[in-house]
Amino acid sequence: MAKILMKGNEAIAEAALKAGATNYFCYPITPQTEVAEYLSRRMPEVGGVFLQGESELAVANMLFGASSTGKRVFTTSSSPGISLMQEAISYMAGAQLPVVIVNIMRGGPGLGGILPAQSDYFQATKAGGHGDYRVLVLAPSTIQEAVDLMMLAFHLADKYRNPVMMIGDGMIGQMMEPVEFPEKYKEPPLPPKTWAATGAKGRKPIIIKSLYLDPNLLEDNAWTLHDKYEQMKKEEVRFERYKVSAKNRILLVAYGTMARICQTAIDELEKKRISVGLFRPISLFPFPEKQIYQEAGKKNIGDVLVIEMSMAQMYEDVDRAVRGQKQVSFFGRTGGIVPSPEDVVEQIEKLIDKRKPKAKKKKA
Amino acid sequence: MLPGESVLTFQPPSITKGIVIIVGGYGSGKSEVAVNLARHLATDGPPENRPITIADLDIVNPYFRSREATERLQQLGIQAIHPRGGSRYADLPIILPDIKAGIINRNGTVILDVGGDDAGARVLSSLADAFVPGEYELAIVLNANRPFTANVDGCLKTMSEIEGSSRLKFTGLISNTHLLEDTSEETVLSGLVLAREVSDRTGLPVLFLSASAEVLSRIEPKEIDVPVLPLTRMLLKPWETND
Repeated sequence: MAKILMKGNEAIAEAALKAGATNYFCYPITPQTEVAEYLSRRMPEVGGVFLQGESELAVANMLFGASSTGKRVFTTSSSPGISLMQEAISYMAGAQLPVVIVNIMRGGPGLGGILPAQSDYFQATKAGGHGDYRVLVLAPSTIQEAVDLMMLAFHLADKYRNPVMMIGDGMIGQMMEPVEFPEKYKEPPLPPKTWAATGAKGRKPIIIKSLYLDPNLLEDNAWTLHDKYEQMKKEEVRFERYKVSAKNRILLVAYGTMARICQTAIDELEKKRISVGLFRPISLFPFPEKQIYQEAGKKNIGDVLVIEMSMAQMYEDVDRAVRGQKQVSFFGRTGGIVPSPEDVVEQIEKLIDKRKPKAKKKKA
Repeated sequence: MLPGESVLTFQPPSITKGIVIIVGGYGSGKSEVAVNLARHLATDGPPENRPITIADLDIVNPYFRSREATERLQQLGIQAIHPRGGSRYADLPIILPDIKAGIINRNGTVILDVGGDDAGARVLSSLADAFVPGEYELAIVLNANRPFTANVDGCLKTMSEIEGSSRLKFTGLISNTHLLEDTSEETVLSGLVLAREVSDRTGLPVLFLSASAEVLSRIEPKEIDVPVLPLTRMLLKPWETND
C-alpha cells in the first residue's frame, strides 16, 4: 500500500480497524477528538459500532460490556478523560478482559491545558485504579510506530486478557506524518475466546466479574494476574537504541516524541564531538529494566540523563533500574512546554562540565 | 546552476483580491500555505498587495496553527491577528472583533487561515456579511495524499461541505500535494493532475501550486503551467530544523 499523509489521531483510528476492532466508544476531548471524528465516518463503512457515550465513565463501562462478548473493543481519550475511566479499567483487569485504551496526553494535573505532555506516566504504568493490577503500556515516537503498536496492542490485549494502553503526548495525536498500512494484517494465532459471553444456548452460562467475596478466590485471582505480569516482563519488553556505542559518555533515556528531540540533540552534539547515546523504552510496562541496567553499567558511561515532558516520573523507574551504578539526573519541561533540542544540548554540556577535572590552584 | 535557481523561473502567484480565505480538509497544509503566502506577498510581492495581515481563524485544531509563526511573521512587517493570552493556546470558538474590523477596514491584503473541513469553515458564516462577492478569493488547499481528498469525488464532497458550512462560494484551487519529508517530484506533479481534474469539473482556476522550495528545485518549470509558491516550512515539529 502506498504511503499517505495522516494525522496521528486518524492513523491510530485506521490502525484499529486494520487490527479488526469492531466496537469504539468515546467521549470527545482535545487533543484526541479526531480519532472519534474519523471513526464516526469509517466505523459505519466497515460495519462496526461507533458510539459516543454521555461521559468517559459511561464509555469505560461500555467497554467492559462489549469486551465481555469477545469483540475487539477500544477507546481513546486524553488525560482527564482517562482519569475518569480508571474504575472500569481496574474492573476489566480484575475480570481479565482484553481492551485497548489510547491516552493522547495533555498537561495536568486537573483540567490542566490542551498542549502536549507526558505527565500520565505514573497513572499508566503503576495501575491508575485500585487493586493489584497493571496494564501493558506502549509508547510510540512516530506516527508509523503508533500504527504498528496500535495493531499490536489488540493482539497483546487478547494474548494476556488484560487492558493494554498506548500513550502518546498530544503531538502524537496532532502531528502529520507519512504512514503505510499493511495490505493485510497478520498476527500470530490466539486461543479461541472460550471465556466470552456469547449466548448460553447449549452450554452453562458464563459469568464475567471482578467480585470475589471469598478472600481465597480473590487472592487466587491476584496470583493469576501476577503471573501474567511476570510473563509480560519476560516476553513483551520493547525498546530501541539510538547511536549507543562504546564512545558514549552519557546515556539519555527518553520515550515518545521526547526521544526524537533527544535524537536531534545527539546529532548536534556529534558535530561538537560529544558522543551521547539514547535508550528509548517502547514498552513502559513492562519496563526495560535489565537493558537499562546493562547500558548504564558500561564503563564508558559517566552519567545517565532522563528527559521527559513531565516532572521526573519515568526518572524513578530509570533510577531504580540503574541501581546506583551511575548518577542518574533529570531534565524536563511540562504543562505543555516542550523542551527544544537546544535545551537538551545545554543540559548535556552542563553535565560534562561538572565532570571535567578542575585545574588545581598552584600554591603560593 | 545554483541551487534553487530554477525556482526563480516559476511564475509567482498573483493576488488580485483584498481578501484571501484559505480553507481545506484537515491537514491539507492550509496554515503552511497561508503563512508562506503572507511572507511571499510581504517580501517579494507587488507593492499594491501590501500591507499584509494574516488572521488565524483556526478554532478546531489545537496545535500547528499559523499563530505559531506569529513572531517570525511580525519581523517581516506582517500583522498577525489571533487570540492572545491563555486563549492563544485554546481551541475555543473565539472570533475577535479585530478580525471583522480588519476585513472591513482593510488596507492591502488580508489572509484568513481557516480551520479544517466544514467544521473549521463554519467560522466563516459568522463573518459572511463582511465578505463582498468579487472582493475575496475563497481557495481550497488540495492534498491528494490525504485520505478524504485522494480523488476528484472526495475533493468535490469536501468542497461542497465547506461551501455549505461557510455560506460562501469557492473562487479557486491551490494544489498542495505533499508527503512532508517524503515528497518527491512525482508527488507534486501527481497532485497537479488531481487539481486540474477538479478544475475541469468545477470550472474553478488553479490559483497556484505550492511545494517545498527544495523539491521545486528538481522540477523543470515547463512541467508546471500554473503559478508556483515555493514553501519554506515555518510550522515545524520541535525536533525539526529548516536546514
